[in-house]
Amino acid sequence: MTDQRGGPLSVDVDMTGAFVVHGDIDIAGGPTLERYVGRSQDGLPIVLDLHDVEFIDSSGLRTLLAAARRARQHDTHVRLRNVGAAVRRMLEITGTAQQFEIEE
Amino acid sequence: MKDARELHREPAVRQSGPVELRMPADPDLVSAVRLTASGIASAGKCTIAEIEDVKLAVSEVLLTMIEHGSGQGLSVSLELMDSKFTVCGSTETGTFDHDHPDLALSETVLAEVCAEHSIDVAGSELHIRAVIELRRSDEC
Repeated sequence: MTDQRGGPLSVDVDMTGAFVVHGDIDIAGGPTLERYVGRSQDGLPIVLDLHDVEFIDSSGLRTLLAAARRARQHDTHVRLRNVGAAVRRMLEITGTAQQFEIEE
Repeated sequence: MKDARELHREPAVRQSGPVELRMPADPDLVSAVRLTASGIASAGKCTIAEIEDVKLAVSEVLLTMIEHGSGQGLSVSLELMDSKFTVCGSTETGTFDHDHPDLALSETVLAEVCAEHSIDVAGSELHIRAVIELRRSDEC
Protein backbone atom coordinates (compact mmCIF):
# COMPACT_ATOMS: atom_id res chain seq x y z
CA MET A 1 0.00 0.00 0.00
CA THR A 2 1.49 3.33 -1.02
CA ASP A 3 0.28 6.88 -0.53
CA GLN A 4 1.79 9.84 -2.35
CA ARG A 5 -0.89 12.41 -1.65
CA GLY A 6 0.39 15.67 -0.26
CA GLY A 7 3.81 15.73 -1.86
CA PRO A 8 6.80 13.69 -2.84
CA LEU A 9 6.82 11.62 0.34
CA SER A 10 5.31 8.15 0.10
CA VAL A 11 4.69 5.44 2.65
CA ASP A 12 4.57 1.66 2.29
CA VAL A 13 3.46 -0.74 4.97
CA ASP A 14 5.72 -3.79 5.08
CA MET A 15 4.92 -7.37 6.12
CA THR A 16 5.65 -6.58 9.77
CA GLY A 17 3.29 -3.60 9.83
CA ALA A 18 6.13 -1.08 9.84
CA PHE A 19 5.60 2.16 7.94
CA VAL A 20 8.40 2.44 5.37
CA VAL A 21 8.87 6.11 4.58
CA HIS A 22 10.27 7.22 1.21
CA GLY A 23 11.29 10.83 0.62
CA ASP A 24 11.69 14.04 2.57
CA ILE A 25 9.85 14.52 5.85
CA ASP A 26 9.13 18.22 5.63
CA ILE A 27 6.20 20.62 5.54
CA ALA A 28 4.94 18.94 2.35
CA GLY A 29 5.56 15.32 3.29
CA GLY A 30 4.71 15.44 6.98
CA PRO A 31 0.92 15.40 6.48
CA THR A 32 1.11 12.19 4.41
CA LEU A 33 3.05 10.49 7.17
CA GLU A 34 0.62 11.83 9.78
CA ARG A 35 -2.29 10.18 7.96
CA TYR A 36 -0.57 6.80 8.13
CA VAL A 37 0.46 7.13 11.75
CA GLY A 38 -3.10 8.13 12.59
CA ARG A 39 -4.32 4.82 11.17
CA SER A 40 -2.02 2.73 13.34
CA GLN A 41 -3.64 0.34 15.77
CA ASP A 42 -3.95 1.55 19.33
CA GLY A 43 -1.70 -0.20 21.79
CA LEU A 44 0.83 -1.39 19.25
CA PRO A 45 4.21 0.28 18.76
CA ILE A 46 4.40 2.56 15.75
CA VAL A 47 7.39 1.39 13.73
CA LEU A 48 8.85 3.79 11.16
CA ASP A 49 11.48 2.48 8.77
CA LEU A 50 13.46 5.52 7.67
CA HIS A 51 16.08 3.91 5.42
CA ASP A 52 14.85 5.96 2.43
CA VAL A 53 14.66 9.31 4.23
CA GLU A 54 17.50 11.63 3.30
CA PHE A 55 16.08 14.89 4.61
CA ILE A 56 14.04 16.03 7.57
CA ASP A 57 13.38 19.54 8.87
CA SER A 58 11.79 20.76 12.10
CA SER A 59 8.26 20.35 10.72
CA GLY A 60 9.08 16.73 9.90
CA LEU A 61 10.42 16.26 13.40
CA ARG A 62 7.15 17.67 14.75
CA THR A 63 5.33 14.94 12.84
CA LEU A 64 7.50 12.30 14.54
CA LEU A 65 7.06 13.94 17.95
CA ALA A 66 3.27 14.03 17.49
CA ALA A 67 3.36 10.32 16.68
CA ALA A 68 5.38 9.70 19.84
CA ARG A 69 2.85 11.65 21.92
CA ARG A 70 -0.03 9.71 20.39
CA ALA A 71 1.76 6.43 21.09
CA ARG A 72 2.40 7.38 24.74
CA GLN A 73 -1.28 8.16 25.19
CA HIS A 74 -1.88 4.50 24.25
CA ASP A 75 0.88 3.22 26.52
CA THR A 76 3.20 2.40 23.67
CA HIS A 77 5.99 4.09 21.74
CA VAL A 78 7.42 4.98 18.33
CA ARG A 79 10.29 2.82 17.16
CA LEU A 80 12.60 4.31 14.51
CA ARG A 81 14.33 1.77 12.28
CA ASN A 82 17.26 2.37 9.91
CA VAL A 83 17.82 5.94 11.05
CA GLY A 84 20.08 7.80 8.62
CA ALA A 85 22.43 10.70 9.16
CA ALA A 86 19.89 13.46 8.52
CA VAL A 87 17.30 12.16 11.00
CA ARG A 88 19.97 11.33 13.56
CA ARG A 89 21.38 14.84 13.31
CA MET A 90 17.93 16.42 13.69
CA LEU A 91 17.32 14.37 16.83
CA GLU A 92 20.69 15.42 18.22
CA ILE A 93 20.28 19.12 17.40
CA THR A 94 16.91 19.26 19.12
CA GLY A 95 17.67 16.86 21.96
CA THR A 96 14.59 14.77 21.16
CA ALA A 97 16.15 11.32 20.62
CA GLN A 98 14.85 10.11 23.98
CA GLN A 99 11.28 10.52 22.73
CA PHE A 100 11.79 7.48 20.52
CA GLU A 101 13.02 3.93 20.66
CA ILE A 102 15.82 3.81 18.11
CA GLU A 103 16.89 0.48 16.63
CA GLU A 104 20.66 0.35 16.25
CA MET B 1 50.96 37.97 -18.48
CA LYS B 2 50.71 35.48 -15.62
CA ASP B 3 52.19 32.07 -16.10
CA ALA B 4 50.27 28.88 -15.30
CA ARG B 5 51.71 28.58 -11.76
CA GLU B 6 50.56 32.09 -10.80
CA LEU B 7 47.10 31.40 -12.14
CA HIS B 8 47.00 28.19 -10.14
CA ARG B 9 47.79 30.09 -6.92
CA GLU B 10 44.84 32.44 -7.33
CA PRO B 11 42.07 31.46 -4.95
CA ALA B 12 38.91 30.18 -6.56
CA VAL B 13 36.23 32.85 -6.71
CA ARG B 14 33.06 31.56 -5.10
CA GLN B 15 30.26 33.90 -5.91
CA SER B 16 26.81 33.10 -7.16
CA GLY B 17 23.64 35.07 -7.09
CA PRO B 18 21.74 36.49 -5.56
CA VAL B 19 19.14 34.19 -7.05
CA GLU B 20 15.79 35.78 -6.25
CA LEU B 21 12.53 33.90 -6.28
CA ARG B 22 8.92 34.92 -5.83
CA MET B 23 6.61 32.06 -5.09
CA PRO B 24 3.26 31.22 -3.53
CA ALA B 25 3.24 29.98 0.08
CA ASP B 26 2.94 26.40 -1.16
CA PRO B 27 4.57 23.61 0.90
CA ASP B 28 4.99 21.51 -2.26
CA LEU B 29 7.43 24.10 -3.66
CA VAL B 30 9.81 24.01 -0.69
CA SER B 31 11.71 21.02 -2.06
CA ALA B 32 12.23 22.86 -5.37
CA VAL B 33 13.86 25.79 -3.56
CA ARG B 34 16.00 23.36 -1.52
CA LEU B 35 17.11 21.79 -4.79
CA THR B 36 17.95 25.19 -6.26
CA ALA B 37 19.98 26.16 -3.18
CA SER B 38 21.69 22.78 -3.21
CA GLY B 39 22.63 23.32 -6.85
CA ILE B 40 24.09 26.75 -6.15
CA ALA B 41 26.08 25.40 -3.21
CA SER B 42 27.28 22.41 -5.21
CA ALA B 43 28.40 24.61 -8.12
CA GLY B 44 30.28 26.70 -5.54
CA LYS B 45 32.22 23.63 -4.45
CA CYS B 46 30.64 23.49 -1.01
CA THR B 47 31.19 20.29 0.91
CA ILE B 48 28.41 17.75 1.37
CA ALA B 49 28.06 18.83 5.02
CA GLU B 50 27.76 22.48 3.96
CA ILE B 51 25.14 21.60 1.34
CA GLU B 52 23.14 19.76 4.01
CA ASP B 53 23.31 22.87 6.21
CA VAL B 54 22.14 25.06 3.32
CA LYS B 55 19.20 22.72 2.63
CA LEU B 56 18.17 22.78 6.29
CA ALA B 57 18.43 26.57 6.50
CA VAL B 58 16.34 27.02 3.33
CA SER B 59 13.72 24.63 4.65
CA GLU B 60 13.46 26.35 8.03
CA VAL B 61 13.27 29.83 6.48
CA LEU B 62 10.49 28.77 4.09
CA LEU B 63 8.69 26.77 6.77
CA THR B 64 8.62 29.79 9.07
CA MET B 65 7.31 32.07 6.34
CA ILE B 66 4.60 29.59 5.29
CA GLU B 67 3.46 28.79 8.83
CA HIS B 68 3.72 32.28 10.31
CA GLY B 69 2.97 34.39 7.25
CA SER B 70 -0.47 35.42 6.08
CA GLY B 71 -0.45 33.06 3.10
CA GLN B 72 0.59 35.72 0.62
CA GLY B 73 3.54 35.32 -1.73
CA LEU B 74 7.05 34.64 -0.49
CA SER B 75 10.24 36.36 -1.61
CA VAL B 76 13.39 34.31 -1.28
CA SER B 77 16.98 35.22 -2.02
CA LEU B 78 19.91 32.79 -2.19
CA GLU B 79 23.46 34.08 -2.40
CA LEU B 80 26.84 32.44 -2.26
CA MET B 81 29.61 34.90 -1.55
CA ASP B 82 33.06 33.43 -0.92
CA SER B 83 32.77 32.05 2.61
CA LYS B 84 29.06 32.61 3.25
CA PHE B 85 25.81 31.27 1.90
CA THR B 86 22.96 33.64 2.74
CA VAL B 87 19.28 32.77 2.65
CA CYS B 88 16.84 35.66 2.99
CA GLY B 89 13.08 35.52 2.98
CA SER B 90 10.23 37.94 3.41
CA THR B 91 6.46 37.78 3.37
CA GLU B 92 3.38 39.46 4.77
CA THR B 93 2.39 38.45 8.26
CA GLY B 94 -0.58 39.10 10.48
CA THR B 95 -0.10 38.70 14.23
CA PHE B 96 3.32 37.16 14.67
CA ASP B 97 3.93 35.13 17.83
CA HIS B 98 7.64 35.21 18.64
CA ASP B 99 7.05 32.68 21.44
CA HIS B 100 5.28 30.04 19.36
CA PRO B 101 6.76 26.61 20.26
CA ASP B 102 7.05 25.58 16.58
CA LEU B 103 9.12 28.70 15.97
CA ALA B 104 11.41 27.79 18.86
CA LEU B 105 12.13 24.40 17.27
CA SER B 106 12.88 26.04 13.95
CA GLU B 107 15.19 28.55 15.64
CA THR B 108 17.01 25.73 17.42
CA VAL B 109 17.80 24.21 14.03
CA LEU B 110 18.80 27.55 12.50
CA ALA B 111 21.08 28.28 15.45
CA GLU B 112 22.83 24.95 14.90
CA VAL B 113 23.43 25.22 11.15
CA CYS B 114 23.90 28.97 10.77
CA ALA B 115 26.64 31.33 11.90
CA GLU B 116 23.91 33.92 12.32
CA HIS B 117 20.19 34.16 11.80
CA SER B 118 17.44 36.64 12.49
CA ILE B 119 13.64 36.67 12.41
CA ASP B 120 12.21 40.18 12.44
CA VAL B 121 8.84 41.76 11.89
CA ALA B 122 8.78 45.24 10.40
CA GLY B 123 5.26 46.60 10.09
CA SER B 124 3.31 43.78 8.48
CA GLU B 125 6.40 42.16 6.91
CA LEU B 126 8.21 39.13 8.25
CA HIS B 127 11.92 39.08 7.39
CA ILE B 128 14.17 36.09 7.95
CA ARG B 129 17.89 35.91 7.30
CA ALA B 130 20.13 32.89 7.74
CA VAL B 131 23.86 32.86 7.04
CA ILE B 132 25.81 29.63 6.73
CA GLU B 133 29.56 29.92 7.20
CA LEU B 134 31.54 27.98 4.57
CA ARG B 135 35.16 27.00 4.23
CA ARG B 136 37.19 29.80 2.73
CA SER B 137 37.35 29.51 -1.05
CA ASP B 138 41.15 29.25 -1.02
CA GLU B 139 40.85 26.11 1.08
CA CYS B 140 38.97 24.33 -1.71
